[in-house]
Amino acid sequence: MKFKLIIPGIFLVFCGFFYSGLFSDPMNIENVQVERQFPSFKLKDLMDDSIEYTAADVKGQVTLVNVWGVWCVTCRIELPFLTQLRQVQGMRIVGVYYDNAADAVFGDVDINQTRKEVVQMLGQYGDPFVFNIYDAKRDLSLDLGITGAPEHFLVDVDGTIVWHRRGDINPRIWQDELAPIYQGLLSKQAKGAN
Amino acid sequence: MLPEIGHFALILSLFFTVALAIFPMWGAQKNIPALIALARPLVWGYFVLASISLFCLSWAFYHNDFSVVYVAKNSNSMLPWYYRLSAVWGAHEGSLLLWIWILALWTAGVALFSRKLKKSDVARVLAVLGFVSIGFLLFTLITSNPFERTLPYFPIDGRDLNPLLQDFGLIIHPPMLYMGYVGFSVAFAFAISALISGRMDSSWARWARPWTLLAWGFLTAGIALGSWWAYYELGWGGWWFWDPVENASFMPWLAGTALIHSLAVTEKRNAFKSWTLLLAISAFSLSLLGTFLVRSGILVSVHAFASEPERGIFILGYLIVVIGGALTLYALRANTLVSSHRYKLFSREVLLFCNNVLLVVALAVVLLGTLLPLVHKELGLGSISIGEPFFNKLFSYLYIPFALILAFAPLIRWKQDKIQRVKKDILLGAVATVFTLALCYFTYSIDNPWTLVGVGLALWVAIMTFVELKSNKQIAKLPMSHWGMVFGHLGFAVMVIGIAMTTFGSVERDVRMKAGDQVELSGFTFTFESIEQVQGPNYSSHLADFTVQGGDKTYELHAEKRFYPVQKSVMTEAGIDDGLMRDLYVALGEQIDDDYWGVRVYVKPYVRWIWLGSIFMCIAAVFCIADRRYRHVLSWRSSADKATSQA
Repeated sequence: MKFKLIIPGIFLVFCGFFYSGLFSDPMNIENVQVERQFPSFKLKDLMDDSIEYTAADVKGQVTLVNVWGVWCVTCRIELPFLTQLRQVQGMRIVGVYYDNAADAVFGDVDINQTRKEVVQMLGQYGDPFVFNIYDAKRDLSLDLGITGAPEHFLVDVDGTIVWHRRGDINPRIWQDELAPIYQGLLSKQAKGAN
Repeated sequence: MLPEIGHFALILSLFFTVALAIFPMWGAQKNIPALIALARPLVWGYFVLASISLFCLSWAFYHNDFSVVYVAKNSNSMLPWYYRLSAVWGAHEGSLLLWIWILALWTAGVALFSRKLKKSDVARVLAVLGFVSIGFLLFTLITSNPFERTLPYFPIDGRDLNPLLQDFGLIIHPPMLYMGYVGFSVAFAFAISALISGRMDSSWARWARPWTLLAWGFLTAGIALGSWWAYYELGWGGWWFWDPVENASFMPWLAGTALIHSLAVTEKRNAFKSWTLLLAISAFSLSLLGTFLVRSGILVSVHAFASEPERGIFILGYLIVVIGGALTLYALRANTLVSSHRYKLFSREVLLFCNNVLLVVALAVVLLGTLLPLVHKELGLGSISIGEPFFNKLFSYLYIPFALILAFAPLIRWKQDKIQRVKKDILLGAVATVFTLALCYFTYSIDNPWTLVGVGLALWVAIMTFVELKSNKQIAKLPMSHWGMVFGHLGFAVMVIGIAMTTFGSVERDVRMKAGDQVELSGFTFTFESIEQVQGPNYSSHLADFTVQGGDKTYELHAEKRFYPVQKSVMTEAGIDDGLMRDLYVALGEQIDDDYWGVRVYVKPYVRWIWLGSIFMCIAAVFCIADRRYRHVLSWRSSADKATSQA
């Protein structure tokens, strides 16, 4: 008789998890990227095939990596604010260009067309980027666990991902979340340099 | 006025169920005939009041009474009348009311068809059902009242029913599913009643069995309808996604499948009693768990209702009382029910036990796969996701022993059998299977090993089912329940063939097309003929005509992309040419520019067999229930006496 009491016991344990689960947002995906090293990669520049980047190009200075594309409406909306961050805060922002059409079976993507659209969009809404990495085969996006665009990674001097956000950066996010972390990293960077 | 009557009827029915839960149970325990006799009248009252309530809400929908918040949120005057009625269960509050009404319907059914049962036993069963109802009535009245008004200011028109749900599949999918979920409450009530009274014999199982089979049949139909609806409505050509809510419906189905087999042993051999009780409790508990998962917002799912933690806590409390209470009662009392029946290692009992073990393992796989991400996250270990590959792999492995045993188990005798006796039949079946599989292998050039395993074992099950049928001396005199078994097992085989063939044999292409373009796919030429804009009753739509050339035949398909202005949402209506051997499937994607559209084309071999198999299983349930012996059951007690005197 006693051992059968295990059955309601197990059930109650599950109920405990259910109870705590009720108060956590299921849409809030816990971040597994934070505190990891920025993944290594070797990819070309979006605008110039002859330039190649590796993880070393993201290191060395506190950098915000922004995954974006011209097809992404939210990315367009945040461009002016990101540009402002670059101009006012001097933030180093690197773009990872996510080509939405590249994977389709529709045939090869016309890179010149993409470049034309990129230039047009950045000209119109502001260009926050030091450079753009062209992730045609999505190797980097896969390693970063990208679920959509825009996504942002704040990378420390030594290449550690310190902060990750799915979605746009706006004044509120900057105020509440990003600015304290960013400024903390900057002062650490300054100390390290001294 | 009518919504208020509906609300009032619902409140009154709460009083009836409270009385139903208390007085007949008390009467049965203390042997007070006057209280026992109250059970049926209370049930009639509960059923009539719940019906009035459901009718009032349906009326509000039919007459576009947008002063009722729930109607305003889920209907629109442009909606055709049949969708206005099915919108009653289109969202949380109304679907709860439907759930309550179905629970009242099952309770009334038990009250009506149990006249030959011992009065005190009926009273206990009905009281348990009344107790189960209280929770749902309280839940509806306190947290989710569908009759709430928005007076004096109410909208001119409603926000419309979610376009996904404006479909024939939705009209019948939820009621069928709820009939199944709620139907397991009867077996549950029988189990609790047996635990309370401490009496459970083969006639108990004989009573519980048809109710369980009926619920199982409805659940099978409900799940299959949902799968079919997703296939033609969602436009991605899939039929099962291992979504948490799909899993929530699959778990009670697995438990129910185990239960109908274990009930057979309890009925015929008076064995497995304690196990059967646990399964009866589990099947309904898993239905309740599913309700919790869907309505509390605890998991991310396409099916989840918008939710508030308040509702979640309420259902959780209810789960703890009902499931926790039932399991504790089981743990304390199950040992009083001893199965004295003995059997040898090679007997049908043992084989059915293997079936049960495998089904329960499958159930555990689904349960863990569904809940582990939640547990993992709450332990602070980070988010993980468990999906298709996990389930597909484990189910593929579980399928092998399951099908191997299932095929020959019906040949084996109860109690004790010898391999010598059935050796010839099994050998015959095995040879026939290998031969048929070789034939399939060469005609279809199946190259995937898992397809071969899936189809091969399904053929083995089907062929052995016929071998078993042939081994009976007078096929015409077989009882209906035997035919039920035959159809059920054939249905399983047919379904697995469908799954194996479509999983590994489907081909698909995403293409960019304009009118006049062609695309080739596994011997079929899909031509995009034309596209035009059309106007529906509450939507506007792009209607594309395709012709498909294959062999010497031409098929016409119409794929649609609908825009519903009220909810500002876009819906895909896939164009499908269905056939027993293959489906041709075209779904219209996004408009890329003026002329070009993204188009997805599929050729899906044998996909219909998945639902054909489900139909077979539903027929099986009907056959089993129609068996003569369930119509000639004597009273619970006296048949039990007879059983003991025969033994």
